[in-house]
Amino acid sequence: MLEVYGLGKRYGDVLALRDLTVRVGEGACLVLLGRNGAGKTTALRCMAGVLAPSNGTVRVDGIDAATDPTGVRARVGLMPELPGLYERMSARAYLDYFGAIYELEPALRKKRIDGLLELFELVDAGDRWLGTFSKGMRQKVALIRATLHRPRLVLADEPTSALDPDSARRAWAYLKGLQDEGSALVICTHSMEEAESLAGQGTGQIGIMSTGRALAVGDVAELRRKSGLPTRKEVRDLPTLQDIYLAIVGNHHELAESRSA
Amino acid sequence: MSWPSLDRRKAALVAKRDLRDAVSELRLIIAMVALTVAIPIGSAIGIRGLAYFGGGTAVVNRLSLVGAFFVVFIPASFSLVLALESFVGERERTTLEVLVSTPLRESEIYAGKVAAVLAIALTLCYGGLLVYCLAVFTGLGYFPLDVLIALAVSTICQVAAMVAGAVIISLNARTMRAANVMASFIILPMSVVLQVEAALILLGRTEFLWAFAGFMIVLAAVLLRMGLAGFSREALLAREVGLSHPLKRAWGAIRSGFAHRPGLLRLVWLRRIPLTIAAAGLPIGAVAGYLAAVTNAVPSSAVKPTLSALLNAAGSGSSSDQAIAIFGHNALAFLIVPLIAVLTAGLSGFLLTFFPGFLIGYVAAGSSWAIALGGVVPNGLVEIPATIIAGGLAIQIGASAIHMEAAGGWTARVLGAAADYVRALRWLIPALAVAAILEVKLG
Repeated sequence: MLEVYGLGKRYGDVLALRDLTVRVGEGACLVLLGRNGAGKTTALRCMAGVLAPSNGTVRVDGIDAATDPTGVRARVGLMPELPGLYERMSARAYLDYFGAIYELEPALRKKRIDGLLELFELVDAGDRWLGTFSKGMRQKVALIRATLHRPRLVLADEPTSALDPDSARRAWAYLKGLQDEGSALVICTHSMEEAESLAGQGTGQIGIMSTGRALAVGDVAELRRKSGLPTRKEVRDLPTLQDIYLAIVGNHHELAESRSA
Repeated sequence: MSWPSLDRRKAALVAKRDLRDAVSELRLIIAMVALTVAIPIGSAIGIRGLAYFGGGTAVVNRLSLVGAFFVVFIPASFSLVLALESFVGERERTTLEVLVSTPLRESEIYAGKVAAVLAIALTLCYGGLLVYCLAVFTGLGYFPLDVLIALAVSTICQVAAMVAGAVIISLNARTMRAANVMASFIILPMSVVLQVEAALILLGRTEFLWAFAGFMIVLAAVLLRMGLAGFSREALLAREVGLSHPLKRAWGAIRSGFAHRPGLLRLVWLRRIPLTIAAAGLPIGAVAGYLAAVTNAVPSSAVKPTLSALLNAAGSGSSSDQAIAIFGHNALAFLIVPLIAVLTAGLSGFLLTFFPGFLIGYVAAGSSWAIALGGVVPNGLVEIPATIIAGGLAIQIGASAIHMEAAGGWTARVLGAAADYVRALRWLIPALAVAAILEVKLG
């Protein structure tokens, strides 16, 4: 579904992303972890066909983002960190507008919008201007917008950061449903619990990013091995993903510091 | 100049949404409509009052045309605000990021947004003009349809030029505050353009007004093309603007602009196309000057003062004083031309050779080609090649200024072209000095 090979992106003098190689199959999930400025958003934008890679290739559903970015964007649903909603538009009109951009038939558009507004408990607010929505409600609308056309690849940057636990559970269940239908997911998050839960489903991988590069990519067991954390017999619990993350990023920074010294 | 293909249906989707957004603010609508209706009616009352109290037919007629210009200008100025809001406002609120992540092409987003702003601004302009015409010209016994059509055409282009300018600003401003400051770069040149238009209306020469409308069409087309070429996902999301240490960055850009530039001979080869255009300016100017004199399209009373000023520029002092005066005159032209080239899309570079050619042709029509050409020998053998090189390099500066690419690099291209010009002056200025000495000693 998503094949990324040697992906790099440069903004002027700044190398925001370098040599990222990942593969996400149909119905699979990749969780990107990393500090702010690690290159996660840039990676998502390149995968979505929004930004052209400076190096490497991105293929979605076999389509090369460099040669047919419009084709890639038609197959992708990108949910950026900020919802980016039109304040003076109702939720229904807003979603209908984006449905039309993705060339969904009016009847299908209406059916899906009604269904998703109901799923996310937004039916009563559907005709209100988006400017009056709370942060969590905005995030729900952004998630609906990004997935309204049933994309083959969903790219979401912290999709539940503003949601209450119940709404977050609902959102993850919805994304899991899309995954079951064959959509691939690439999720950026700072929540280790969410990452562990998403990646621990057999088809999930985690990519740990720092300063524009992927330090490690693999499932939780692989990352545990790569982290080098001891799994002593007297320690009952295995290291959590939080421990693994800190160990990998910490090692990287120590290495970088010793190199610079 | 190619225009990319677009799906009109998708562009219409964007336009419809933007239109709906713009008219959803009731207070804004009331303000715009009130101004559009109140100003024509106020102007009409003034003009009809003047006519009633015996203001003189000629004065009333001229004033009625200036009033029409005024009525159209106010709503046209809204287009800048609307365009800045549509492009920079959306960028600031991150809604543009969402829009560019859809399968819409840049050209569809651009065309849709421009169409929405044009539709609002032109509806207000023409609505105001219609109210004005009904209020002023009914029963006045004077209805200058040709002038009003020329005004309507140039208004479309003024609005389009302002919208395109706003798009170019949006690529260099992340916030509305920055965009409003940068809008001066549109407002100030546009105010000069509008003053010219007002003067032409007062002059009462319809052909000049049509020429002005033609100029505005070209200007609007160039700016719209620039906006379209520069409006890209990369420019909106990936380009760094407004970073810290602006002076350091500016100095770095100038230094890199001057680094690794080609030598004069290689530069002449690399810039052969603009140099050919500049070289063509001389014979084209000569033919134009000859025809202007023969047909009396440009009366000698208009040309003679220029010729006299040029001939007297050397003064009547010693030969070294004369040489210095001639050199100073020519060197000043070589310094001013590249500065104006940025604003005139390189036209000043073409005029650098066209004007001397025009004067030669004009003189030739009154005497002979031998006399006219004899007047520029031998200094012309040095001066003309130098002028062609300077003119060609100035055309290159202008061409760089109106060329935008999705990947950016506008500043680097303009600085590179300017650096070529400045470096070439190392050869051109001595050439002008030699030409001045030749003119005084042998001319």
